[in-house]
Amino acid sequence: MIESNSPCARRIDDRDPRASEGCARKSGSRTGRSGKAALFLGVLALTMPRALGFDDKDDKDAKKAEPKAWIIFPEHVFTATGDTFDGGMVAVANGKIALVSRNREGDDQGRDALRCFAVTPGLVDASVRITSGNASVEQATEVEPGVRVASSLDPFDIAWDRQVRSGVTTVLVNPPDRDVIGGLGVVLKTAGPESISARTLRKDAVLRGSMGNQPSYGNHPAGRGGPTDLFERRPMTRMAVEWAWRKAFYDAAAAASDKSKEFPGSDRLISALKGDLTVSIQAWATQDIRTAVFLKEEIEREAEFKDGLDKPHFFLDAAAEAWKDPAMLVRARIPVVLPPFSPDGRTGENAFIAMDTAEKLREAGIPFALSSHGSAELQDRLPLQAGYAMQGGLPFEAALEAVTTIPARLLGVADRVGTLEAGKDADLVLWSGMPFEPSSRVIAVIVDGVLRYDAREASHAK
Amino acid sequence: MLCLALALFAMQSGYEAVHALPPRAVAIRADHVWLGDGKVLDKGIVILSEGHITDVGTDIDIPAGMGTIEHKGTLTAGLVSLHGYSGSPGDMHDDTRPDLPGAKVASSFDSTHYDFEDAREAGITTLMLTPQPQGVAPGIAAIVKSFGNTIVSDEAMLTLVFTENGLNQNREPTSIGGAMRLMEQMFQSKVPVIERAADGKLPCLFETSEKHDISRAIEFAGAHKLHGAIHGVPLAGEMADEIHAAGLDVIVPALGVGTERRALKAVIKLHKAGVRFGFGLDSPFNNPAVLRMSAVMCVREGLEPQVAWTALTSDAARLAGVGDRLGRIERGQDADVVLWSGNPLDLGSRVEAVYVGGVEVPGDGR
Repeated sequence: MIESNSPCARRIDDRDPRASEGCARKSGSRTGRSGKAALFLGVLALTMPRALGFDDKDDKDAKKAEPKAWIIFPEHVFTATGDTFDGGMVAVANGKIALVSRNREGDDQGRDALRCFAVTPGLVDASVRITSGNASVEQATEVEPGVRVASSLDPFDIAWDRQVRSGVTTVLVNPPDRDVIGGLGVVLKTAGPESISARTLRKDAVLRGSMGNQPSYGNHPAGRGGPTDLFERRPMTRMAVEWAWRKAFYDAAAAASDKSKEFPGSDRLISALKGDLTVSIQAWATQDIRTAVFLKEEIEREAEFKDGLDKPHFFLDAAAEAWKDPAMLVRARIPVVLPPFSPDGRTGENAFIAMDTAEKLREAGIPFALSSHGSAELQDRLPLQAGYAMQGGLPFEAALEAVTTIPARLLGVADRVGTLEAGKDADLVLWSGMPFEPSSRVIAVIVDGVLRYDAREASHAK
Repeated sequence: MLCLALALFAMQSGYEAVHALPPRAVAIRADHVWLGDGKVLDKGIVILSEGHITDVGTDIDIPAGMGTIEHKGTLTAGLVSLHGYSGSPGDMHDDTRPDLPGAKVASSFDSTHYDFEDAREAGITTLMLTPQPQGVAPGIAAIVKSFGNTIVSDEAMLTLVFTENGLNQNREPTSIGGAMRLMEQMFQSKVPVIERAADGKLPCLFETSEKHDISRAIEFAGAHKLHGAIHGVPLAGEMADEIHAAGLDVIVPALGVGTERRALKAVIKLHKAGVRFGFGLDSPFNNPAVLRMSAVMCVREGLEPQVAWTALTSDAARLAGVGDRLGRIERGQDADVVLWSGNPLDLGSRVEAVYVGGVEVPGDGR
């Protein structure tokens, strides 16, 4: 349980200055002589929040939550830096993690604080599609590297709250895979001001595209007399999808040295070739994974890609069958994002994933992240994916990294999120038991220092 | 015969105010005269002459020989509807291409259509006719009178579409990202009508249907220093602070009797935040009577009556850029006047007479 209604906080709320001073002194004296922490806790006591209430959806004014100062006393701290310890404390101020300490300063009884069994960093999902639908992918042509998925997202949707409730605080939102190259994904916080730009952690974070059958779905040959709609076009097969990828990169390489060959989005493809813009490729089945690997190796090898255009960064999304030939991914230095586990092992494009897939990738030395792959289903939520992977043999620390630090690194936001360290964004998940265990619950989630989910306020699980 | 021929010729010509018969000068003495912006005159006299209001007061001299109408009830300015497609069923967009920024609604409407008769019967004297929100920039809105083939402005607002309802899966753009890219390209180009909007000479009508569309519209307006009004979201008031900060106005879609209270509260938030707003009827999809109903619904939820009335008249006219000419009972304004049987915000009151440009128009009131 988390507790926060100490008499101290209530008196501060009554705006009795003497009472607040008294409280500040009291907590200060309790923290003993370690000067910095004492000063810090004094400030915390003064700014301790009044209520943890979730606001009325109806009333926007209440939604303008300011980051608050928190002290958290967990029984176990999982920092995701490889450092795990019992007891200790985490302090949050001004939207950032202010202190992660093995030592619990002074007597913690009676002080206003959040108490829980365990605390982890906010989880990071490198593949979601919240509110990204048909209007989020431009289908004028099969290659649209310049279109931003961020333009179409709806920050008011309930789906964001659902992510928060499951402990996910940072996500990469992709366009639907209806194009070969569908545009630019965006990294967002799942909670915060009601505007996509204000929640953006990294704009134009990845160039998103897909191998396999999905991009060609719905395309058909033109009838007699020529095309009458957009979908009378390539690609219609796996082979043509791969061709479109290669053509896009070769055309971009040509445009890099000849301005007359530029085309819409060619600048984005050039950034991708230089490694400045990470490419996220959906590739479920083993042949699509292989195609992506060959594409990267071709770019690194062929003479057309010169003057620094041979350094692309790829990661494969939904690479369920990465376990079949892991050596290939090691050779090409391509990390993967796994899709959610499924009861019969079958995932997208009929690719097979097993409980031990994650553990096999760890043994092979392939960095991997777990994901919900944009699914809104309860059984596909991210913490459960970590639990399934552990059931398949993955150690806890590796499972934690696969939902925090690794996706944060893939998305280029590891300097802000993914670990519990002083200076990082104050994105924390408080757990009722061991994280990822089926019997454990997320009991509170803090995003940028604001308590965005409080299990005591939830009338029912949503 | 010659007279009739001239009149017919006049009906067909040009944009200027042309009437079948010249307006007759008339003095109207009413129990209550709502001057606009919350000001009321009891036992007021209003003189209409040459299509304008030439005098307003309580003890003014009525020129000798001028006919005087004694009205037991309230005299107000005519209502202004800010959004709709009256008199042009199906003709107010062209879906073959997403960018037709220079297309004019003024060229497509039929001023003799019965939609305008319906509007007059509801006390509406001015309508902004808008391109249907399809594509990215479907055209330019017009401001017209509900009688007399009068186009007040053939270039009132430039419509920019931010709603995914405007997308078409059969041509570019199929996505909001693609639409935003096209809109950016349009503003990079030197098309004169876009230049006028970018220079602040032509206000924009930001078509939206969800709250997040409004965020995007505000961002785009800020990036290109555009002004104008947001239309399409009943809950726009829940973003009133952001809209106010962006310096934009709001056109609230018509609010019928079934409107949820959350939407009515949102309108009140617009007023509290200082956002100027008016109502869009979306005729002919809504009956014109719904325009007055929209204001009454807000009053029932707690909006001050004079604010609701201002939104129907003077603020609506200002929002459309014609506030100096329409929306108030004041010397020099157009003689667009409605005589109501009682308080017009009381739904028991009805329209007894309507004057557009000083001409008493036919209606069912008499």
